[in-house]
Amino acid sequence: MKSLAFASISDLKAKLANREITSHELVDFYSQRFAKYDKQLGSALEIFNTESVLEKAINQTGPLAGIPGLIKDNICQNGRNATCASKILTGFQATYDATVIEKLKQAGALLIGRANMDEFAMGSSNEHSAFQKCLNPWNEECVPGGSSGGSAAAVAAGLVPWALGSDTGGSVRLPAAFCGIVGMKPTYGRVSRYGMIAYASSLDQVGVLSRTVVDNAQILNVIAGYDPKDSTSLNVPKPDYLKALDESLRADFTIGVVDNALNAEGLDAEIKQAVEQVVSFYGKNLNIKIKHLKIGSLDYSAAAYFIISRAEAASNLARFDGVRYGMRSREAKNLYEMYADTRHDGFGDEVRLRIMVGNYVLSEGHAGKYYHSAQKVQHMIRKELVETFKDVDLLIMPSQAMPAFKIGAFDKNKLQMDLQDYFTCFVNLAGLPAISVPCGYSKEGLPIGFQLIGPHLSEAILYQAAYQYEQAHAWHERRPTKFE
Amino acid sequence: MAKITREEILKLAKASRIHIHEHEIEELIEQLKAVLDYAECVSKIADDAQIASAKNINVFRPDAAIASNSGPILAQAPHAEDNFFVVLPILDK
Repeated sequence: MKSLAFASISDLKAKLANREITSHELVDFYSQRFAKYDKQLGSALEIFNTESVLEKAINQTGPLAGIPGLIKDNICQNGRNATCASKILTGFQATYDATVIEKLKQAGALLIGRANMDEFAMGSSNEHSAFQKCLNPWNEECVPGGSSGGSAAAVAAGLVPWALGSDTGGSVRLPAAFCGIVGMKPTYGRVSRYGMIAYASSLDQVGVLSRTVVDNAQILNVIAGYDPKDSTSLNVPKPDYLKALDESLRADFTIGVVDNALNAEGLDAEIKQAVEQVVSFYGKNLNIKIKHLKIGSLDYSAAAYFIISRAEAASNLARFDGVRYGMRSREAKNLYEMYADTRHDGFGDEVRLRIMVGNYVLSEGHAGKYYHSAQKVQHMIRKELVETFKDVDLLIMPSQAMPAFKIGAFDKNKLQMDLQDYFTCFVNLAGLPAISVPCGYSKEGLPIGFQLIGPHLSEAILYQAAYQYEQAHAWHERRPTKFE
Repeated sequence: MAKITREEILKLAKASRIHIHEHEIEELIEQLKAVLDYAECVSKIADDAQIASAKNINVFRPDAAIASNSGPILAQAPHAEDNFFVVLPILDK
């Protein structure tokens, strides 16, 4: 049974098919691992009891039949709590399934729990969960990254084979890099957002965290696709991402190295070196053309992201007011006090700050300088990237500025914490797909990831390129020792 | 550099429908200022940007009634009666 902890989805499917194990035993196995390790690790807000998980299984033969997974707590699962790791949603139970949940259930997946996260997906370290800390399985003094920190930590520690996260500015790729696993942020519109509780609607996208590229492609295969319930969903054909892995990259395939990212001030030297080695692998070992280039608008992307994401958050989070769901302040004497007290007591510091920043940049007198300028910069970023992808097939750059940092490291410097999104958020502003793939470890034994970015709807190519790297390296076979 | 006064932060909090305590004001001003000072660089390059106006496409669903049961939704409310959400009086008594 021990070997099951880090088994791939394909291995688990084979064991289920050969009747070496039942889905009931699998759910029990992972639940027991959570019981054993997660009191300390803090990756899940709730693990459901096995019977209730199996009751909700609706397909015994689908592509994920019997395969357990963990869901970030901002994605609605009918009849389960959904809190976004916020006190304001205490006690709220989802009354319907998000489209991704419906698709996973139809594919036979067994959804065993709710993953910890930064409150309302706002953060880069998972330290903003209102309920519990989540630790990095490679070093428990460090953060797992955020905002999908619980999803990443659980997968990295072998508590579950895969997890869903969401990525608004890097929230799948950053924790994947910090925890040494694969994180895919699909093209905006590739995966339905229906039933995902919004942070910044024009940037949010459901993503997949897994230990290998193959596992990742199997999950995206199930959740991708058009959904009439999401008006931003793309009505375009969906490739078979798993089959695509066996195809070879086209002749003349070119990867663009974003030089100004690799030379960015503050980029950790070990990360830079690790990513340069990846570039060298693609160039020398795979004979892929390497083109060095600069993305000028990268320097402004974090600023534009701060403005746009906070503005949308201020609007989206207006709905949490103590009227229809979650908590309500009991002290209030009138309606205004009910709103204001509920939102003060229900939201954490970070969420309150982002809402106020959002309302500031949208307010009369400031919108021109901030919000409208940020929208223009967003257009510039998109335009520059569309131009760039005329010359190169994919871009490569770091996923992270530094290896996972110590818990509390940025308590006194919120801006530095926010800048953890520096290498990832421009991807969301441009609506592009990107994947973070493990490519080494720091001297202190903390994981390092690199990021591949592609043009819209290029997930299949991203997986191919990532898979070729993964096949030639053994990073994905390393395990955090405590969890073996 | 953004200048945020105490009055502005209180106005902003009110517009955001978030009560803030006296002891939170100073730190909030500092944090808000840090983000705004960093973010204001967008206005410098945006002036030069030649951007065609965005062409957004409206996506509509058919305007068809779908049967739904309000029971489970009302059951989530902190206070509901009959088929209504109950809130506090808008004006003080």
